[in-house]
Amino acid sequence: MDSEDDMHDANDAESVDDDFYSGETAMDSDDGDAADYEFIDNDSDDSNDLVSHRSQQNYTILNETDIQLRQEDDITKIASILSISNVAAAILLRHYNWSVSKVNDEWFADEEKVRRVVGLLEEPRPLPNAKELTCGICFEVYPNDSMRSAACGHPFCVTCWQGYISTSINDGPGCLTLRCPDPSCGAAVGKDMVVSLASHDDREKYRRYFLRSFVEDNRKVIVLSFNFLIIDLRFFFISPLIQNGVLLLVVDYAVDFIVGGGTFDVTCRCSYSFCWNCTEEAHRPVDCDTVSKWIMKNSAESENMNWILANSKPCPKCKRPIEKNQGCMHITCTPPCKFEFCWLCLGAWSDHGERTGGFYACNRYEAAKQEGVYDDTEKRREMAKNSLERYTHYYERWATNQSSRQKALADLQQMQSVHLEKLSDKQCQPESQLKFITEAWLQIVECRRVLKWTYAYGYYLPEHEHAKRQFFEYLQGEAESGLERLHQCAEKELQGYLNVEGPSKDFNEFRMKLAGLTSVTRNYFENLVRALENGLSDVDAHGGTSRTGGSRSLGAGSSKGRTSRSKGTASRSSGSRNIDDSGHWSCEYCTFANAKSATVCQMCQQRR
Amino acid sequence: MANVSRIHRELMQFSKDQSILGMSLMADDDDVRHLTATIPGPTSTPYDGGIFHLDITLPDGYPFDPPKMRFTTKVWHPNISSQTGAICLDILKNNWSPALNLKTALISLQALLSSPEPNDPQDAVVAKQYLGDYATFVATARRWTEDFAKASSANFSGKVHKLVEMGFPEALVKKTLEAVGGDENMALERLCPK
Ligand SMILES: [Zn+2]
Ligand SMILES: [Zn+2]
Ligand SMILES: [Zn+2]
Ligand SMILES: [Zn+2]
Ligand SMILES: [Zn+2]
Ligand SMILES: [Zn+2]
Ligand SMILES: [Zn+2]
Repeated sequence: MDSEDDMHDANDAESVDDDFYSGETAMDSDDGDAADYEFIDNDSDDSNDLVSHRSQQNYTILNETDIQLRQEDDITKIASILSISNVAAAILLRHYNWSVSKVNDEWFADEEKVRRVVGLLEEPRPLPNAKELTCGICFEVYPNDSMRSAACGHPFCVTCWQGYISTSINDGPGCLTLRCPDPSCGAAVGKDMVVSLASHDDREKYRRYFLRSFVEDNRKVIVLSFNFLIIDLRFFFISPLIQNGVLLLVVDYAVDFIVGGGTFDVTCRCSYSFCWNCTEEAHRPVDCDTVSKWIMKNSAESENMNWILANSKPCPKCKRPIEKNQGCMHITCTPPCKFEFCWLCLGAWSDHGERTGGFYACNRYEAAKQEGVYDDTEKRREMAKNSLERYTHYYERWATNQSSRQKALADLQQMQSVHLEKLSDKQCQPESQLKFITEAWLQIVECRRVLKWTYAYGYYLPEHEHAKRQFFEYLQGEAESGLERLHQCAEKELQGYLNVEGPSKDFNEFRMKLAGLTSVTRNYFENLVRALENGLSDVDAHGGTSRTGGSRSLGAGSSKGRTSRSKGTASRSSGSRNIDDSGHWSCEYCTFANAKSATVCQMCQQRR
Repeated sequence: MANVSRIHRELMQFSKDQSILGMSLMADDDDVRHLTATIPGPTSTPYDGGIFHLDITLPDGYPFDPPKMRFTTKVWHPNISSQTGAICLDILKNNWSPALNLKTALISLQALLSSPEPNDPQDAVVAKQYLGDYATFVATARRWTEDFAKASSANFSGKVHKLVEMGFPEALVKKTLEAVGGDENMALERLCPK
């Protein structure tokens, strides 16, 4: 980038270009990607909108207020249909698992029976008509007006009611079906009475139980809580809490899912993503069956795999153990060695980038095998003997992306809670203008997830489908290297702007670069997911993996990349080199729209 | 924290009904929340003629939480542990209500002796026998009543005497014998310093 003016030009070009990214999935360019890169965009949307805007949603994330409103709606509905009080309606709904239609059906089928079962009296009875009454619990005598009763009229003193209610609330959600203490009675004690007699703390507990019951008893709703995120961070495999199908601790958010609306992936506001269908962690582009096969395979092999999960490997040059503590695969050994290598294949990093003309190949099992990388250590030889070699290859990459993802999640949290504020301070930027950083991290998290699952995809891709395999590995390699670029930029380059005294001159350039990388990477991955979900069905049409042919189309063509005016498929390969109307040129490799003065792609350093 | 005034009221009320019920209920001198009770075995059951001792502890949450009750007399019954005397009865658990009290709980226990619930057993061995070999069950229950529930009333003083002669203090002997349901050998085992 030559000057800041160029930066702005590039940006303007994006925002005026209404074709930008208008792909098959009808991305709305008004609130789509383009708008998100507006520097003057200072609306303070929740960052979660960023995660979810990428595709049509068939689910809604509900927060506590949303849940409460829905609950109140249902209660009011039943109360007016049956002409009963809201309290009574709530008792009925809770009994029938908050199903409005079930309450309706049962009530009109046999009202008397329903009343008996839930303890709703038709005619409320007053307290006995006497000046003084004996409390049925403490046996003390009290004046009539200091006694309370449920609709049945059985009198107990206020203190005993309080003890009764408090004991029940502290015993758990059973307090929602509280009955009159008289053992022969069974009249329901409604929410109003509980709330009026409970202590402040108990009232809050009761309120949560009440809300939770609406969510948990309602089967179409799965509840997540922040606690899951923590669990998610600690385990390589899926949180057992989710696998057991019972999903909750505290109501933080609930998810209302519309069945039949397309994909099953749901991302909660806490950024936890899961599959509605199988409740495993979100796993597009792989289908649920493959996931369960893969998870079973993993647990069957888990003993053999333990060593892989170790966080340290010997540096391929000096053999000192190196700990991988950053998310990206580009490792630099400690001084004096400083050897830069790839965590996945232990090959020199210099053999990896596009700059050297080679391409990211460490995802390629066959290549790695031929080069004898697997002969490096005793352990690997042993694994080969056990014919676990192939699985090992895929598993290691799957697991590494998984842990990179967890690391990225933790980094994202750290970013949001600490670094953004510091950065805003150091660079004199309002936090609202640092959204691009959060977005980059969310994208990394998402990409790591997709990438992870592509390894399960690769493992189950039939060996004999050579063309598909080749194409797949090419796409995957491109995805790895694209993400690596983004991850490095967000992880390492950002550090340079955090640890400075005053504002950096080139901060805007950094913003452009990171936002651009985020967008390019998102685009690539969305297309990758679609291609894999379609079973790589265009593989024949594109004739395998020729680098300049169809394979690139995934990155540039279907992405409708930054070659803003080059429309349609015909111009894919040639259009990518074109200078468009606004005088920008689009990078052939990553589709980034570069200022015309630039001779090297600002995004991927590829020569024009 | 347990409602002491309610416990006193319960004890007062109980002493009025005691003779009709044929039961006894007594609080420890130093701790009103620890009580002992006896209930007579219901007529026309294998427990007929026996006197069954219970140990009762009232938790802090009483009467909102149920009393903890346990037979100290050994009983052969599907819902009572033949080893520990633990009782499986709904009103002592989930179905407890603060409007119930020790008297109603003891009456319920007497009813439980009359009509066992072998499908909700506390003692699986007894329940299995009850369902599979009722005659043997009745015989065993009767023999246990003879050995532990009757012996304890008839020969109690004799046993006390015997143990006191061995050199143990009388009060301790009585307490220990009661705690083990009149089982002389068990009492001796407990009395002997380890
Ligand atoms: Zn009272
Ligand atoms: Zn009542
Ligand atoms: Zn969440
Ligand atoms: Zn799925
Ligand atoms: Zn699934
Ligand atoms: Zn590599
Ligand atoms: Zn480029």
